[in-house]
Amino acid sequence: MEPGTLYGALSRLERRGWVRPLATAERRRPYQITAAGQEILAEQVTTMQQIVHVARLRTAMAWGA
Amino acid sequence: MMWPGLAGRLSRVLVGCHPRRWRERYGGEMVDVLDQHQASARTVLNLTASVLSAHADPAYRAERPARIRLSDGEKPVIAVAAAVLAIVTVIFIGAWNDRWHLSGAGGVGGVAFAPGQHLLVSAVGGASQDSMDTMWDITDPARPRQLSAFQGGEPTALSPDGRIVATLSYDGQPVLWDVANPRRPARIATMPTGGTAPLWGEAFSPDGQILAVAYTDQIFLWDVASAARPRLLRTLAAPVTPAGEASFTPQDITFSPDGRILASVTGTDHVTVWNVTDPARAARIATLTSPRDFAQAITFSPRGNLLAGVTYNGTVLVFSLADPARPTLTATISGITADALYPDGLLQHPDAPPCPSCSPANYAVAFTPDGRTLTVVVARQEGNVTASAFSMATRDTVFTWNVTSSGAVSSLTTAFRDVDDSEPTLAPDGRTVADGSPTSNAVYLWTPP
Repeated sequence: MEPGTLYGALSRLERRGWVRPLATAERRRPYQITAAGQEILAEQVTTMQQIVHVARLRTAMAWGA
Repeated sequence: MMWPGLAGRLSRVLVGCHPRRWRERYGGEMVDVLDQHQASARTVLNLTASVLSAHADPAYRAERPARIRLSDGEKPVIAVAAAVLAIVTVIFIGAWNDRWHLSGAGGVGGVAFAPGQHLLVSAVGGASQDSMDTMWDITDPARPRQLSAFQGGEPTALSPDGRIVATLSYDGQPVLWDVANPRRPARIATMPTGGTAPLWGEAFSPDGQILAVAYTDQIFLWDVASAARPRLLRTLAAPVTPAGEASFTPQDITFSPDGRILASVTGTDHVTVWNVTDPARAARIATLTSPRDFAQAITFSPRGNLLAGVTYNGTVLVFSLADPARPTLTATISGITADALYPDGLLQHPDAPPCPSCSPANYAVAFTPDGRTLTVVVARQEGNVTASAFSMATRDTVFTWNVTSSGAVSSLTTAFRDVDDSEPTLAPDGRTVADGSPTSNAVYLWTPP
């Protein structure tokens, strides 16, 4: 992944309060997911699960997979 | 190859083109990331997009003073700058459409040091289009400096004089690179491949004249004294693990310091000792066994009279090769993985039940140049599962023992450090540990206290 993409995503996540930066250690800065971030992530996972579920149903209906 | 130096410099300039508030928050971090990144045309384009989107972002724009008004004198300057940027971008896109893409995707799989040199080569990937070797200046081990990158891949070996690098090509053939000028590596020879088995290891003899190229079933000895015209001297049949017997095949190959003996581990419970005094007539002279356990990493002592190895299950073995044809076991230390220090509360604590899906330990083994200390690094990657999260952690534990000239070992010390990678390499000083990044071409060096 290129640094521009990485920091574009990081700055958006941080601004929305979904991750927070920890102290820099040896030229690496760890980021930690926040409680709000965990909530959003759980919602996203649920949404994806629903998409998968629906896709499974539809494909099963269409060609019995 | 393109111009990593220019791409790197342009990338740093682009970091400085972000809005002030963005720079204050992310600039330092981004420069650190760039130091550990293989900058390419794609990086420059990507950062240009990042600059534009940050400037378009109201959160950062709000910080700016009132609208900047360009004077009539400034307008042509801006136009010229934009034109130059466009031209540079077009040139970079051209350079990017190279046959090989030096992406560094996948992370460092191999690291090679030259003894007595301040040079290190890290390799990413095998015989694929994404594989890459990076040359580093490690004069200051705290800040390795990238000198160049080229289209190699692991395995990688650096000749003892630091002038030749052996890698493999896109289609799996051994390749030699002239790195006498490490900023401008040049491909000088490609050797024919040895059958269909994968190439897993390469080792230079201490005088740099012979390159051993190891496949899963054979070892080829090449005369590389004239590196532009390698000459095949001998092919040795290596012991092969019976199909289906082992899912894990540790492999290692190393010359003795006087260059007369070659030792190899080819994924069986044997360490094979070859007499290569006359490489054209090289022959097996002894086999060391570690029954029902695989030797995983091996090394000779500086005087060449001892061979130390670590097995899959964490047993350190020291053999005396005073008579190379009749090796004798002089020391056995078992259970070092159980003694390795574990990240707190992780699944693979020695008292915890076995974790079949966890990866096995990786080891590095080396003597210090005075031959009095034996160092073994155990790298363990472990999964930590809690109700809400899953995380991986890797820890290097460094064991050091005193060794006598006859091969007896005593008085252990340990040190540990949490790292990113699980494949450690020991430097020629027998103390400095190199860990490659699992996601980029970066290498981290550390020395236990």
